[in-house]
Amino acid sequence: MNRKLIVRMLGALLLIEAAAMLPSLIVSLVYGEGDALPILYSIVINLLAGSSMSFIPGKDQNSHLRLKEGFIITALGWILLGIFGSVPFMLSGTLPRFEEAFFETVSGLTTTGASVFTQYTFDHACRGILFWRATTHWIGGMGVLVLTLALLPKLTGRTAHLVKAESPGPSLSKLVPKTGATAKILYKIYILLSLLEFVTLLLCGLSPYDSAVHTMATAGTGGFSRYGDSIAHYNSVPVEIAITVFMFMFGVNFALYYKCLIGEKIKAFFHDEEFRWYLIFAAAFIILISFLNLDYYQGDFLKSLRYGSFQISSIMSTTGFVTYDYNQWPAASHIIIVIAMLIGSCAGSTAGGIKVIRIIVLSKLSRRNIRATGQPKKMDVIRIDGKAVDEHMLSQIAQFAFMYIALILVGGFIMSLGSNYDIGTNLSASLTCVSNVGPGLGAVGPVENYAGYGIHAKLTASFLMLFGRLELLPLFILFTRSAWHKY
Amino acid sequence: MRIIVIGAGKVGYTLAEHLIAEEHDVIIIDKDDEVIERCSGSLDALCIRGNGANAKILLEAGVDKANIVIASTESDESNMLACLISKRLGANYTLARIRDPEFNESQMLLQNELGIDVAINPERATALEISRLLRYPFAGSIESFAKGLVEMVEFRAQEEDCFVGIPMKDLAGKLPRLPRILYAMVERNNTVMIPGGDFRIQPGDKVFVSGDMLTITEYFRFLGRNKHKVRSVMLLGGGRISYYLSRLIVPMGIHVTLFEINPVKARVLSEQLPKVDVIVGDGTDQDLLEEQGLSQMDAFVSLSNRDEENLISGMHASRSGVPKVIAKNSRLAYQDILNDLGLDSVISPQFITSSTILRYVRARENSNGTKIERLYRLVGGKAEAIEFIARKGDSYIGIPLKKLTMKKGSLVSIIVHQGKIIVPFGNDHIEENDHVVIISVESGISDLNEVLYK
Repeated sequence: MNRKLIVRMLGALLLIEAAAMLPSLIVSLVYGEGDALPILYSIVINLLAGSSMSFIPGKDQNSHLRLKEGFIITALGWILLGIFGSVPFMLSGTLPRFEEAFFETVSGLTTTGASVFTQYTFDHACRGILFWRATTHWIGGMGVLVLTLALLPKLTGRTAHLVKAESPGPSLSKLVPKTGATAKILYKIYILLSLLEFVTLLLCGLSPYDSAVHTMATAGTGGFSRYGDSIAHYNSVPVEIAITVFMFMFGVNFALYYKCLIGEKIKAFFHDEEFRWYLIFAAAFIILISFLNLDYYQGDFLKSLRYGSFQISSIMSTTGFVTYDYNQWPAASHIIIVIAMLIGSCAGSTAGGIKVIRIIVLSKLSRRNIRATGQPKKMDVIRIDGKAVDEHMLSQIAQFAFMYIALILVGGFIMSLGSNYDIGTNLSASLTCVSNVGPGLGAVGPVENYAGYGIHAKLTASFLMLFGRLELLPLFILFTRSAWHKY
Repeated sequence: MRIIVIGAGKVGYTLAEHLIAEEHDVIIIDKDDEVIERCSGSLDALCIRGNGANAKILLEAGVDKANIVIASTESDESNMLACLISKRLGANYTLARIRDPEFNESQMLLQNELGIDVAINPERATALEISRLLRYPFAGSIESFAKGLVEMVEFRAQEEDCFVGIPMKDLAGKLPRLPRILYAMVERNNTVMIPGGDFRIQPGDKVFVSGDMLTITEYFRFLGRNKHKVRSVMLLGGGRISYYLSRLIVPMGIHVTLFEINPVKARVLSEQLPKVDVIVGDGTDQDLLEEQGLSQMDAFVSLSNRDEENLISGMHASRSGVPKVIAKNSRLAYQDILNDLGLDSVISPQFITSSTILRYVRARENSNGTKIERLYRLVGGKAEAIEFIARKGDSYIGIPLKKLTMKKGSLVSIIVHQGKIIVPFGNDHIEENDHVVIISVESGISDLNEVLYK
């Protein structure tokens, strides 16, 4: 194994993180609430660690990154970013305990949006720190390694492995031949959409600071709000509509925006099977939940639609913004929310979950198995967008689904140890972390937070979020013996 | 440039690797799932599974915006079809690998009708290379530059060579009768060096000298290397390379003995090549080779389909006292080991094909704005020779070379001034429109001004 190359790449990631803290430093200087020094120290710590790692002396034996090394860099890189990204929270005294700061940072980077912030923390947090909290969403959404490749394409050869390990979805769809150029295009689209949302929110009457924070949280499909009561704080229909639409948009495969821009126009979306199903799922869930909640809202359909559509868009895109305490909704709506959490959004977006494409494939696979019991000799090919899907890919997707569910159950069990919460809270906490949504049900519901969990549960939840964001395999590889072999 | 490579076999893969290293946007099309998986893992290219002769797949690969389409699949017909369709769909320039000798006969017609800009025949290109090696049997490899006016010859320095151990700057003084020639590169222990004034050649070094043909001939006559002229050759394996090679060297007055194990193939060869002795038998059979007079041969060329067989019989021939042994080896990876075993002339058809195609690609690029006339990969890619044309207004024009600063690891090896070859020494200078050949151990040079400046 090429350890020096791995250390060097990890160092580069920390340098990028240091650069990502700069806007927060500027914000803190502008507002002058006393968090400028802690952020400055954090930048210095990141710079020192990053540069000492990326400039270690000696020559690489081989500048080619192997598949295994790509996965290891991704896994270790994200853990390291979580550790070093939590420094501002600790130094500023916002979250003095490491496990809480780490939880918050990982929750930010993985775009989960689960928080240990209590109302007290919100009241005492400075705006620079809150800005950093939102920034973690933005850089984690599209991916830190993807950003590194966009900025430093020549860092190492064979970079496809890195993007593959970090991008959500069963397969990597390159937009242009070069990985570095693909990364650049993805970030350009990302920036463009973010700017669009920023301007929209400004027009809806939000302050520039609030617009920026909520834009970054939506773009990464994260869900950290500036306020303890999330988007409900504004109680404004235009803001809710704007964020509903943008949450949905950031759950769409970014390759489709590229195709749309280079000339396929709107066709690019509707010719894509995954997008069609994403739309159908979202529409079905919204209609369903609006009717299920009709009684709760005393027959006011528009009100039911307003809160239902926002919540479904927020949960499916795995953002986790809240406009209403859905804990009070009927049980059937909770089931819909849990299903939406599992499904998530499209591959190649900034969202989490199992992904619509995998759900389609798994449904087709199940249908084929049912048919095959009656007609075992029939050759049945599974197609997506009219193209046959490789059998190897099918089995990978099935295995992924199994591991995903197993991880949620095991995670829920570990989190329940020593906690006073019920099964709904523990399982939904585990599910919402793996799916990178944020709020769960019961005691971790939309108006609650994770502060009540113990240390081990917070660390477990942090790793569940990392597992979910990196789609399981990169982190599982760390637990294999071959990952630590010298060769 | 946007380049589509159809078929990522040995040639296609090597090509893609080089093109990516030269910063082109490469799109690979291959039918095989496994090939696509391997390519997308290790090459920074867009990989598409499908048939390269399918218009839909070609459009998906963006053929209409492609600068070059290279068809290098196993099948000639697929390659021709892919080029034909690509051209119709708007590709700028198409190259096809076409190997069947039957197609070779009607090559011009096919090329014009099918819109193939360049047809590459790997076996014929390899045969050409071998025939050149047979012309200079003492040479490990030969490259020609500036439309063939200049050649660069590789040979191994021996203990008794008069220049051994003398610093480069004293050569002219101590050996006034040695023809003045440019020592372009020296390869020692697998590293390529550009010899400076204090450099001393040691026995066993691989020396690359360049100059015009006449000087080179004189030079080797002075060293006493041209005693053996090749008059008889033994060929192992009756494949296409052997066929083309026989066609090339029989008219040169060389007698060819060819071994082919398959009687049907042997009969066809014998029909096609009346002057060649075709022997039906196993070329690895030592007794049979001896019976046909192996040790009296001037040269031995092993061209069977199996690399191991070629290398071992090559070593055997070498031990039996054949002065010139050439072996075909498809795998580039082992080249360094083979040199250690004493097999100096190991040729790889894949390498020859890909470097031929690369030469065309670079020539296209040249017309797109860079200043490189031609680029040659030397010593298995460890060094490059780059041909430039000196442009008006460049800072080095008219100034004697010794007053200019030269980039480290580079050397001005040849200046062609109005069709005349100048092997440059310190007092020579470059004039406008001269062709200049630079040899460099570093890759990525794209402008003569990078190498030479005041």
